[in-house]
Amino acid sequence: MAPPEHPSPAAPSEHSQPPPPAAAKGKAKKKDDDDLSEEDLALKEQLELYVLRAQDADPGVQKLALESMRNLAGEIAQEFQKRQDDDLPIDALMELVQQIISFHMKHNAEPEAVDLLMEVEDLDLLVEHVDTTNYKRACLYLSSSSKYLPAPDDMLALDIAYTIYMKFGDLASALRIALQLEKPMQYVKQVFTSTDDLLLKKQFAYIIARHGLAMEIDDEIAADDNDKEILQEIVNNTKLSEGYLTLARDIEVMEPKSPEDIYKVHLIDGRGASSSLDSARQNLAATFVNAFVNAGFGQDKLMTAPSDSSSSGSSGNWLFKNKEHGKASAAASLGMILLWDTDSGLAQLDKYLHSNDTHVVAGALLGIGIVTCGVKNDCDPALAILMEYIGKDDSNIRIGAILGLGIAYAGSQKEELKMHLSAVLGDSQSPLEVLVFSAIALGLVFVGSCNEEIAQCIIFALMERSEGELAEPIIRLLPVALGLLYLGKQDSVEATAEVSKTFDEKIGKYCDVTLMSLAYAGTGNVLKVQKLLGICSQHLEKGETHQGPAVLGIALIAMTEELGAEMAVNVMDTLSRLSHDADADVSMAAIISLGLIGAGTNNARIAGMLRNLSSYYYKEAAHLFCVRIAQGLVHLGKGLLTLSPYHSDRFLLSPMALGGLVTVLHACLDMKSTILGKYHYILYIIVLAMQPRMLLTVDEDLKPLSVPVRVGQAVDVVGQAGRPKTITGFQTHSTPVLLAAGERAELATEKYIPLTPVLEGFVILKKNPEYQEE
Amino acid sequence: MHKHPSLPVHFLSPVLPPFLSPPASPVSTAPHHSAAAMPTVSVKWQKEVFPGIEIDTSQPPLVFKSQLYTLTGVPPERQKIMVKGGILKDDADWSTLGVKDGQKLMMIGTADEIVKAPEKGPVFVEDLPEEEQVVALGHSAGLYNLGNTCYMNSTLQCLHSVPELKSALLSYSDTARGNGIDQASHNLTLATRNTFGELDQSVRPIAPLQFLQFFFKSDSEQTLRKKYPQFAQQHNNVYMQQDAEECWTQLVYTLSQTLTSDASESAVLSMKQLFGIDLVSRVHCAETGEESMETESVYSLKCHISQDVNHLHEGLKHVLDCPVCSFLLEKGIKPKGKDFTMFYCQKVDYPLELDVYEFCSDELKQKLQAPRQMLRDAENAKFGLKTQGKASSSKENEGSSSNTGESSSMDIDKGKWFVLTGFKLILLVCVLNAADPSVPKKQLTGVYDLVAVLTHKGRSADSGHYVGWVKQDDGKWIEYDDDNPNIRKEEDILKLSGGGDWHMAYICMYKARMAESKS
Repeated sequence: MAPPEHPSPAAPSEHSQPPPPAAAKGKAKKKDDDDLSEEDLALKEQLELYVLRAQDADPGVQKLALESMRNLAGEIAQEFQKRQDDDLPIDALMELVQQIISFHMKHNAEPEAVDLLMEVEDLDLLVEHVDTTNYKRACLYLSSSSKYLPAPDDMLALDIAYTIYMKFGDLASALRIALQLEKPMQYVKQVFTSTDDLLLKKQFAYIIARHGLAMEIDDEIAADDNDKEILQEIVNNTKLSEGYLTLARDIEVMEPKSPEDIYKVHLIDGRGASSSLDSARQNLAATFVNAFVNAGFGQDKLMTAPSDSSSSGSSGNWLFKNKEHGKASAAASLGMILLWDTDSGLAQLDKYLHSNDTHVVAGALLGIGIVTCGVKNDCDPALAILMEYIGKDDSNIRIGAILGLGIAYAGSQKEELKMHLSAVLGDSQSPLEVLVFSAIALGLVFVGSCNEEIAQCIIFALMERSEGELAEPIIRLLPVALGLLYLGKQDSVEATAEVSKTFDEKIGKYCDVTLMSLAYAGTGNVLKVQKLLGICSQHLEKGETHQGPAVLGIALIAMTEELGAEMAVNVMDTLSRLSHDADADVSMAAIISLGLIGAGTNNARIAGMLRNLSSYYYKEAAHLFCVRIAQGLVHLGKGLLTLSPYHSDRFLLSPMALGGLVTVLHACLDMKSTILGKYHYILYIIVLAMQPRMLLTVDEDLKPLSVPVRVGQAVDVVGQAGRPKTITGFQTHSTPVLLAAGERAELATEKYIPLTPVLEGFVILKKNPEYQEE
Repeated sequence: MHKHPSLPVHFLSPVLPPFLSPPASPVSTAPHHSAAAMPTVSVKWQKEVFPGIEIDTSQPPLVFKSQLYTLTGVPPERQKIMVKGGILKDDADWSTLGVKDGQKLMMIGTADEIVKAPEKGPVFVEDLPEEEQVVALGHSAGLYNLGNTCYMNSTLQCLHSVPELKSALLSYSDTARGNGIDQASHNLTLATRNTFGELDQSVRPIAPLQFLQFFFKSDSEQTLRKKYPQFAQQHNNVYMQQDAEECWTQLVYTLSQTLTSDASESAVLSMKQLFGIDLVSRVHCAETGEESMETESVYSLKCHISQDVNHLHEGLKHVLDCPVCSFLLEKGIKPKGKDFTMFYCQKVDYPLELDVYEFCSDELKQKLQAPRQMLRDAENAKFGLKTQGKASSSKENEGSSSNTGESSSMDIDKGKWFVLTGFKLILLVCVLNAADPSVPKKQLTGVYDLVAVLTHKGRSADSGHYVGWVKQDDGKWIEYDDDNPNIRKEEDILKLSGGGDWHMAYICMYKARMAESKS
């Protein structure tokens, strides 16, 4: 467990209190100096005594000595702080620190050592003192405490962890850290070039692909063209669809599901069975449910059902059972169904591009973006096709193409896109909606890039628009786009935030809060949370809207917390209560939230709640729509997908996934004008966060390999001595398996060795040379 | 457009089914004309890869597309080929595209039919005018509460569910006022008709203002409060809550006069045919042995609820069996407005399916036997499907077993509907009856189905809240809580039997189940 001294920003204040001997300060400086060197001496003597005693044969004495050692470390930290404040030399102190560190590291007290080094701001020392037996624990403590550190200390801690992993050749672990670092590319490359093991590189490629890092495999990484191609293919996620379908076949959920299978009307007696007439809104809801449920399976019962099946009249023409903008979402849903399968996805969507209905074309364009989401291709088909359409006259088609590009190339930071989309932003003739979606697309493509040029573009766009346009609800997505550029980048946002204060008051405050919440998303920054809480508690009278993003911001910043994951279960009841709230906005938001927290779980309790809600709100078209969407989300990918932006043991945060989630959440702040209006396709942005929650083990030829694994609740082992159990209450399955939130897997066989310490997603298994058949 | 572009010679042969061509396409084996000018590329199309396709860079890209056409069957104008800088244009210059030997190209496109919109698009509920949305909703609208008028709303909703009554009202004309009908009754009938009409046409709740007006004030020319001034009692300038049973009785009474009086066309049933229950009382004097029979027609049966009555059947039996003197006493207890009366909140169960056979007179019992048998057969044949529909006419007769004195028995022979009303204290049953004259083959069986319940919540008839529960054609129930109709389940209806502070059945309306006689 973490030690009581919390290395949080609050810590310095404790130490600023002068230690008792220094109370008589105020005399000449020289006198002080003398005092201190005496103090040094005393400390040193103490230390030596403790070290001696700790080696005593009597365990009682040992224990006491160790206890005292901890106190001593605390004293040294205080002393250090004081000397820094007074600008005094610290060399003598550092010598003591050296000794204490080496003592701690030899005595299974890595957390204490790390804490002390953090206090004296010299983490580098750690590298010399770790050895093969304790580096893992030290690094684990470093990396998990980095979540609680303010910038730039967090990066420093990670950097040290990275250095230590590299020192001991634990490359897979080093890579995980590298991905979390400020500028991951150079570190990632270093990891790749540190080994000649192609198999290991393949595993690295899988980890990078899961994280969504756009990376080009160059000659340095793999000299051989063939190897290069294989690695690039993995990084490009080309095989994701295949792996996902392998999992689906193994779990036997390939059979397509219709929205009715999800609604389960037969369980709500008497209700739900409505008239024979089609309701455009309900059909739209069914379109979304169908898309979410069958996401990535490549087949469904509405859109891809073979048209020759004359038996059911509904197939084939489902597209046209949607009204106007609904047709766009219906066409785009095809992209969702064929998610990650670019080969057949693009082929199927292509024919819709020739339609003479602009909504269908717009939907097909968006669909192309969705299909290629997270999957890269050297030929860049999505870019080539969508670029043709972004200059078209029809706004719908433009939005389809622009949003499609944003989804397809999220996080890629493609220069071509910056050029073209910035042009749309800069054009004062662009309709407002096109402008907004261009900004969002740019925000997604350049998520977390801190790209000043784009930020300028968006700021200018915000400034130039008339007051009337600033009152449009959709305009609120512009600050979100701006915030996406700085997602998780903390202080870097400040310059932009300063500018945003000069905006028209209609949007200024909203912009400010949004920027702050996005920039500190996933950092756990307590001060920012407090600030946002303060904003929330203000009593608004002029109908300002910035409290919505403030609340979202709190959630975003605080989500790193381990407790957050558990909270999801606790809030279920609250949401269930709020879903019956008299205020329509509150109840609808609660309903969507129920869907989001249960996304991809098939959770029976949430599913039951939603079914009841569907009968409760059977007359309220808007509520029912939300219930349906939530039902679709709960059964996302028939329970094989997750929306969690965290992966790799909740350590890595995928900025693209978070960006997608945040955009949808912000859109949901004003549902009437977004998803209940004509911009319902915003919901598809959630595809960025969709990932299979699987563990698929593959052999050295990357073919699926079934091995027994233990899957259980993850146990927090940070700061624990020895080799504690990492999971509890486990069950043994054979791969591929599904991993739920908070679950961890470990191999249940000695026959193979996994190439990565975290068993998630694709894991390559190597035969254990020491294994002997019993 | 481009039927036969100039293809390289070896390409002209296999134009037809491209998929039948062997994987090692003829292209790969073709001799090179000039290695520099003819880079060889592989093209990926869907899941297939066509290796070794030569590009004649001296020819426009259209030629290359035609090559692909022979391989894939995708017409050149539908081909999208990804090259550097976007999609390959038909007039592009190969030299600027920098296609290298061995490069992999990607082609997108299908020969599939282009999706066309159906000629006739679907009609969406949202597009319909308001009146037509009613049908889609599946039930009629609610009624606004005009200030303590829930008693009236619930009564109207229950009666509104009787299609026969609706058709009878429809044929009631504005002008034709039968003899002996006062203006007020006429107006009330018209108001009822109009309100029912509005209910059928609207999706949104309506305000039964006209109906209320006519029902109220006694002197002037208008309805409920007009005809029955007692309903206009005010308390603190607010109209007081009234007893729904009174409202029901009065309304049914008025309608029975207006609707029967004008020589109604044969298709229309009179109220008496609909709701009438013939009660045959046999007065027997214990001393002299004298006996006389009296027939009385009522529109509802009251169910007496006392300590030991736990079921509707028992209550009915109680009412019909008891000596006259005590029967009168019960009547005396019945609250008549003004001061509030405490009700027994006793739980009295009522069935969804009521069989009144045992109450019928011997004579009627015999009549009923054949239809009942038919019904049973039909039901057996349908195996539990209760959709048999209208059932038999019921003649109810109560053979008195008491030898102490007078007793009453009942004989209902026309009703198709049967209404039981009841307080928490008195459950009154109303039988809706009558053999439908247009369907002579149908006969009453003495079995009735529950179709509507009017419930009361609260401790006295003049306070609390009244709600109507009406069964729909599809078996669902709708709870009409003023302007807010809710869908309910059948179990919910059975929970209204009282014994707590929940809604309590006050008036139950039963509909006769008819047996179809074999032709």
